[in-house]
Amino acid sequence: MIWARSQPIATVAKWAVTLWMLAVVAAMFLWVPPYEGLGNTGRIVMMHVPTAWLSTFAFAIAAWYSIVYLRRRRAQDDDRALAATELGFLFSILATVTGSMFAKVVWGSWWNWEPRETSILILLLIYGAYFALRSAIDDVDRRRQLAAVYALFAFATAPLLTYVVPRMYENSLHPNCAFLPGSQCEGISLGKSGVGQLGDQRVQVLDIVRDGDVVTAVVDVSGVGFSNRTTLRPTYNLAAGRQQETPEFPGSRFMLALQSVDETGVRLNIQAPGNSSQRGNVATRTTLLASLAGFTGLFFWVYNLRTTLLQLRRRVEAQGLS
Amino acid sequence: MAEEIERRTHYVERSRQQAAPTLRAAWAVFRKDVRSELRTRYALNALAMFALSVVLVVSFYLGPRLAPRDVLTPPIQAALLWIALFFAALSGLGRAFVHEEEVQTATLLRLNTPPLAVFVGKWLLNVLLLALLSVVVTVLLGLFLNMRSANPVMLMAVLLLGGLGLAATVTLLAAVIAKASARSALFAALAFPVIFPQLVIAMLATEQALTGATWRMALPQLQGLGAYAVAMTTAALLLFPYVWEA
Repeated sequence: MIWARSQPIATVAKWAVTLWMLAVVAAMFLWVPPYEGLGNTGRIVMMHVPTAWLSTFAFAIAAWYSIVYLRRRRAQDDDRALAATELGFLFSILATVTGSMFAKVVWGSWWNWEPRETSILILLLIYGAYFALRSAIDDVDRRRQLAAVYALFAFATAPLLTYVVPRMYENSLHPNCAFLPGSQCEGISLGKSGVGQLGDQRVQVLDIVRDGDVVTAVVDVSGVGFSNRTTLRPTYNLAAGRQQETPEFPGSRFMLALQSVDETGVRLNIQAPGNSSQRGNVATRTTLLASLAGFTGLFFWVYNLRTTLLQLRRRVEAQGLS
Repeated sequence: MAEEIERRTHYVERSRQQAAPTLRAAWAVFRKDVRSELRTRYALNALAMFALSVVLVVSFYLGPRLAPRDVLTPPIQAALLWIALFFAALSGLGRAFVHEEEVQTATLLRLNTPPLAVFVGKWLLNVLLLALLSVVVTVLLGLFLNMRSANPVMLMAVLLLGGLGLAATVTLLAAVIAKASARSALFAALAFPVIFPQLVIAMLATEQALTGATWRMALPQLQGLGAYAVAMTTAALLLFPYVWEA
């Protein structure tokens, strides 16, 4: 009996995952320091990033088992592809909802048509179309085969969705590199009157003023379509060799930092609000990785459960017919 | 071992001999479909009427309001162009395989024509129809919405590359839905997420062609469209045999 196999290990694993996830939730609220400026809102990232990651991972698993199905024509491979798709659908809903909540608080609206929001929406639609296709075909073998073809055909667009489309847009609200407190993006080097883009912000260096050891960059910043246009004055201390004042971009909690100064100009960067202390960094990073591991464990647990159930249903149906 | 080698060389020889017949068969499928299309003009009528009604409906409302020099005019026209192309393609090109199943000629085609030839033949017809459709929609938008391109060669390149990608996607999915129920609704549901990245890039590139961006500026979009067309055509060629035999 397939569902009764390796029962003790499964029980231990289930309890391990449960306790692990409980620990993650506890750490998320108790250990991770609140994001400066974002308060408790930032904590949702601990749930958002792993679910978003797993929704894409499930898509890859479904594509893999679709290939295997088309090669071998074994029903259990189709079960696996279907289970992965169902879980991927669930996780992409979770990622969309958590991301949307975060977006409402931080960026001011539930939906911003930001490249990654768009790609997860497309992923949701692909999953939806996959289920619609399955339900529209009565013949079992034909359903399996065409569903596998569609999963693979949709998967062929994944690289374009991930790498090409986001680059077509000039702005991304996702602070890829600035997300972890204390971590930084590469930033841009600009001379006087140089123009550049940091995240969704257009920046132009109007002037560079030196007063003793403190260098101030006078920077004209504006959001999409010159919205929220204002002048910010980040400073850099030459004696200390570090950034000093990091004013916030208007309407967001990200900050503009002047990271270095040389003869050719200044190096500007966007920084996430957050604790720059090492402890905050370690706590956040560890919890995020633990959450990712926990969600992955959870994923495989439910995935195996669902696969077994699908196999069981298939057997019952086969017996019922004979 | 010797048998294995012999078997393999046999395969290589056979595939070499088959390359030309496959293309010839594809051409035959294409000619057959062109002839049957000219007899019924089903796709031609559907495409033309759909394109005309979309453009007219929007033009009634937007035509008098779109100022030629408004910054929003080119993006709106670009979006309309691709909306008309996409939905017209969905309404007219889905029949390629549905018809074969309906009049029960699919089995015959399956027996005497290699799958690849069937796909290439149908794909060629869809490319041809989409090319005609692009010309019609562009002219209609030029007439009714005063769409003008500052770089017509670029616009043609965008339409060509976008059309190739669209044709590959639509042809494969038409073969899929021919085997399912609730076909027309399913076609849009299946096609939209797959075609979406391409539509976004194509709209962006069209806007650039309308506003007169340089080739250098539009290059990433054109590369994106080319990459999409290559990726979807390759995927469709690889996957079609599985759809055809299902």
